[in-house]
Amino acid sequence: MSIRDLVPRMGRDKSLQRRPKRTSVSSLQEDMNRLFDEFFDTFDRDPFGLMAREPSIASLEAAYSPRVNVSETDRDITVSAELPGMDEKDVTVEVGDDAVTISGEKKDEQEKKGRNWHRVEHTYGSFRRVVPLPAATDAGQAKAKFKKGVLTVTVSKREPDQATRKTIEIEAQ
Amino acid sequence: MTDQVEKTEKENRRDDEEGMLPSFRPAVDIYENADGYLLEAFMPGVDTDSVDVTVEDGVLYLEGRSANGRHDGYTLVREEYGPVKYRRAFDLSDRVNVEGIKAKVRDGVLRLLVPKGEQTKPRKVEIASG
Repeated sequence: MSIRDLVPRMGRDKSLQRRPKRTSVSSLQEDMNRLFDEFFDTFDRDPFGLMAREPSIASLEAAYSPRVNVSETDRDITVSAELPGMDEKDVTVEVGDDAVTISGEKKDEQEKKGRNWHRVEHTYGSFRRVVPLPAATDAGQAKAKFKKGVLTVTVSKREPDQATRKTIEIEAQ
Repeated sequence: MTDQVEKTEKENRRDDEEGMLPSFRPAVDIYENADGYLLEAFMPGVDTDSVDVTVEDGVLYLEGRSANGRHDGYTLVREEYGPVKYRRAFDLSDRVNVEGIKAKVRDGVLRLLVPKGEQTKPRKVEIASG
């Protein structure tokens, strides 16, 4: 239902029908409708006016941040993130030298259409999380999978590069 | 929400057979249409086998167990979440159809369809003539 439907139809009200200038009433109604639409449009996006006051807090990227675990073996590093209700289509994973970036956005689901919400506790919106890694990685070897609402990214640690590694001899006195 | 599925969270006082797992209160979204309610509980790490949905004495219990966050043979470097037991309870009014509740789990989200009882649906009353 658009907000337009909530604005009372003046033309149907008998007391108003007696007004001589129907045209100005209907143009007033159009103005009112436009004001309502504009007001609620802004209200929907930012009900508490946070964007203006606290842009850093209000930004959607800050609003939702999945919880992340990082673990390692001698060879691999795994980064797992809790992303319930999402799947591979909603999420992008980028592996850099020393960080994994997980970003995405939960898409609207068809089954919510035509329903009114009663209570919404889960945080929706786009997110972006940069997770620093404990060691340099070989990005070419990265794998990612989704299971039970948990994304797990596995990255191989990079073999120590012989060229950049040099043993320094210690001189005896 | 006020009358059909009361949002009061009752503390679940059953014995914790899971032992030492910390309890976690999952986020729950509730939507309504003419037929009933859609309830979504966000429980990352659970699947069909690790979730229990029960109705007892008019209380709907949602429970789930996750072994989240641990990988065999790996050492944790950063830990923001761990294995938990999810728990949530809702008082049901007698206006929902308990027998008709359907549950399914996908991508770590438990979805319940809770139909309204027949008496809460709009019904037209025939007026007898005469």
